Amino acid sequence: MQRKARIKVEKLTYHYGSGQPVLKNISFETGKGECIALIGQNGAGKTTLAKHFNGLHRPSSGKVYIDGIDTTSMKVSELARKVGFVFQNPDHQIFHDTVAREVAFGLRNLRLSRREIEERTAAALEAVGLTEHCRTYPFNLSKGQRQRIALASVLAMQTETIVLDEPTTGQDFRESVQIMEIVRKLNENGHTIIFITHDMSLVARYARRVLVLCRGEILADGDVRSVFAAPEILKKTYLRPPQITNLARCLGRHSIPPDVLGVRELYELLVKMRSEKIGCCS
Amino acid sequence: MAAVAEYISRNSPIHRLNPLTKMIWALSILGVGLLFNDYRYLLALLASVLLVAAAAGVLRSLLPAAAGLTVFALILLLIQALFYGQGQVLFYLVPVSNRLAVTGPGLLSGIAMAARMMALVLSFLIFLATTRTRDIVLTLVEKLKVPYDYAFMFMTALRFIPAFFSEVRQVSEAQQARAYAVEGWNPVKKIRAYAPVAVPLVLLSLNKADQLAMAMETRGYSGGLRTCLREAKMGVADYGLSVLLALLLVGSAAARLAGYGLM
Repeated sequence: MQRKARIKVEKLTYHYGSGQPVLKNISFETGKGECIALIGQNGAGKTTLAKHFNGLHRPSSGKVYIDGIDTTSMKVSELARKVGFVFQNPDHQIFHDTVAREVAFGLRNLRLSRREIEERTAAALEAVGLTEHCRTYPFNLSKGQRQRIALASVLAMQTETIVLDEPTTGQDFRESVQIMEIVRKLNENGHTIIFITHDMSLVARYARRVLVLCRGEILADGDVRSVFAAPEILKKTYLRPPQITNLARCLGRHSIPPDVLGVRELYELLVKMRSEKIGCCS
Repeated sequence: MAAVAEYISRNSPIHRLNPLTKMIWALSILGVGLLFNDYRYLLALLASVLLVAAAAGVLRSLLPAAAGLTVFALILLLIQALFYGQGQVLFYLVPVSNRLAVTGPGLLSGIAMAARMMALVLSFLIFLATTRTRDIVLTLVEKLKVPYDYAFMFMTALRFIPAFFSEVRQVSEAQQARAYAVEGWNPVKKIRAYAPVAVPLVLLSLNKADQLAMAMETRGYSGGLRTCLREAKMGVADYGLSVLLALLLVGSAAARLAGYGLM
């Protein structure tokens, strides 16, 4: 069976004005229900690439297809029905006097019925844990909570694909985990997720596939284990695999596989090895 | 739009000149531009301004701004050409009914006005594009004895323009991503429809002003006598050029009094 691509990028090149290309000849596609991390150093083109998925940027050459439809002929407000986009700074979008109205803004743009809007708003606020704040003035909340308002306003639109641009910046560890757990649930419910991040432990924990960008080109594209097992590639774009993967690699000659992603995983491997007495543990 | 009123880093002789010299140059262009109203003189002035831009290597970056200015230049040209009302009629804008006559002198005076406006505005933009903000402030305060508060306010306002436009873009992108679109022809509706962009912008700007004030205070703004780390020195070229420009200005005034460059 031919797998239908949710987002398909073909030989995409992009430059601002008449300057140097920011993205060079990028091609890849994502299937339904994937969870992809987009990583790379600052200025590698992550956000620029992501903005092509909902038409905020148009390719200078090449094509971007969403659900098989060429985006060149579609308006951003139309693409917003298919691809949700959570921006880095929630203050660029918040302008209503209550949290609930803010979340409902996108739904009113979609011209949904009043009942549907209320239901979806309530569900989205529930998902991000802001139900009790639905009548609060957004700027009385913390930055982390405002970030979750932005997330809720995209969730409520129930787009098949959701793009998150550094959803955890400025959040403490607990808030980061909270947000990423919401993302994981969305992914389990069948949404295609693409998130940009600099936090490799988040990548290891939540993504299944990684796209590594470096100076506008795709350096690596594959599942998390295989990409993190090749630190030389990551080094080119100034990234390092998570510490636990590094540790596993250092232990590599003791027959530990180099593609360990989690602490628990390594612990279990070590326990198993101890009982089997393989390797050199003399 | 972002390139307007911003410093453009190049290593040209124009960039290396003292800010004061460039300020004198821009003021000379202003003076000469206002003295004459013959279109030939003013077109030559515009050409000289463009030559300076080319010498500074910023001509290409200023082209979008220049293109924007031509719109206003054309409006000026049209108004002058239509309302001058003297001299021989060249053609009529509404051919059949012989209305809206365009006369020869009217057209030429329109060209003069347009060239004057472009020369003046572009000379100021070139000054800004070739001079670092901090150097302008330094010159204003040290050489021209402008109170530091005023110099600082002026430069902050200039600096705010590009930052503001980048914010406008980010906010409208964020709202478009939530299926927001300005539609329809009803002007009242249209103004209301700008709220999603305008409100976050106002909030962000207030926030930014607040942060700026705090940053200034933490860095000892108005904390007493100011001293400067750098000093902008006037070189031989600066003195030479300043004298030349002064001579040009005096010469132009004399020529104007003698009746040249009038129409």
